[in-house]
Amino acid sequence: MKPAPFDYCRPSTVAEAVEALNSTESSRVLAGGQSLIPAMNFRLTDVSVLVDIGHVEGLDTVACDPGGVTVGAAATQTQVLDDDGVAGVVGGLRAALRHVGHLQIRNRGTVCGSLAHADPAAELPALAVASGAVIAVSGPDGERRVDAGDFFIGPFWTALEDGELITEVRFPAPPPGSVTIVDEISRRAGDFAVAGLVATVQADGGAVRSASLVGFGLGGVPTRLESAEAAIGGWAADHPAEPLAEAVMADTADAFDDIHATSWYRSEAVAALTVRAARSALAAGEAS
Amino acid sequence: MTIREPTSEVDVEISINGRRHRHRVPARLLLSDYIRDTVGLTGTHLGCEHGYCGACTVIVDGDAVRSCLMLAAQVDGAEVRTVEDLAPAGSDSLSPMQQAFHDNHALQCGFCTAGFLMTLESVDPGDWTGRERIVELLSGNLCRCTGYQNIVDAVTEAWSAYHGSGGSNDG
Repeated sequence: MKPAPFDYCRPSTVAEAVEALNSTESSRVLAGGQSLIPAMNFRLTDVSVLVDIGHVEGLDTVACDPGGVTVGAAATQTQVLDDDGVAGVVGGLRAALRHVGHLQIRNRGTVCGSLAHADPAAELPALAVASGAVIAVSGPDGERRVDAGDFFIGPFWTALEDGELITEVRFPAPPPGSVTIVDEISRRAGDFAVAGLVATVQADGGAVRSASLVGFGLGGVPTRLESAEAAIGGWAADHPAEPLAEAVMADTADAFDDIHATSWYRSEAVAALTVRAARSALAAGEAS
Repeated sequence: MTIREPTSEVDVEISINGRRHRHRVPARLLLSDYIRDTVGLTGTHLGCEHGYCGACTVIVDGDAVRSCLMLAAQVDGAEVRTVEDLAPAGSDSLSPMQQAFHDNHALQCGFCTAGFLMTLESVDPGDWTGRERIVELLSGNLCRCTGYQNIVDAVTEAWSAYHGSGGSNDG
């Protein structure tokens, strides 16, 4: 399998990359290439100019400060996973990346590339929505910032316009004392999730105070579980699981139904993951 | 290094197993095909060619990667290692990991073996102690013959010096 012929360029600045992206209609950004190259090998995507951002100055950085973590567009998933500062500030990044692909994929795949690709079953878009990440985009009209909540429009479809590229994403630190859990049901280790959950839970006195709950693999975009977020306040480990699970089921009633799982199965799975996440968060709170 | 104007052919200089190669290649040439067809090193095998099977795993600048998911053009200026680099040059002996695979019958048809060996070669054994971690490490490489048991046994044996006796069977 080979990709169809295309032209390749390797800019060294964001401005050059934007210029190259706008030189033709069917241009694409090549970052890690772990989704784009297979799509090109399968001839599923039509590319006439491929803009390799692997050598663009300043894009391969991972920067941590007490307020959050900023990941450049060329920084690999392994870079983020291995960065000692990241887990202490945005624990969800490490929790999510442990589920992403395999070592060899994470060595090339990028965090920003996963957001741009917007696979409905991917962990990082759900983490971005759950944590209120902000995505920095450069294009012919300059720079703009897009909230993750507005970034994902449909399956493999984002707010990125033609000729734009992501330059970095900023994951803000979650509320102090909260714990972020990323859990999923997948058929094989490292494979895409059948259904999954990102939960950032704040607990005190043995009960959940509040939680940000976002499911993935359920619909075209990350799914915020709004009634479950309302139902989880005050929930404690000795409370019945049913009301919480039922709230999740209500939020996910229109989950994907396909060859891998029925809609009901996905809904039930995320309900179970939510109860499990609440229990682990409470257990973590007691242990600390 | 910078290529500003989009081009259908790219000049690359790539070090493979310590030897420098210079070629003008089509932009769409995959690293896997470059290694096998342009350079002629056929120890790297191509299974699925879309990133699932791990047979084509090579090491680029120290990291294990799927060579079918990279372009030769992306590797310009990089150091690549393939399975041909594992055994000591000019001798009939194998590397310790290759020997452990041989001794533990960790291959049958051998198609996937180069990929397993390169994944293993790329990591620090100290980061992957215990059977469960070894299984996690190898989850990106598929083998359709062995059932994996003998492969994990081989790795456990080859890394026993790093992990200490008795420690390797945890998990």
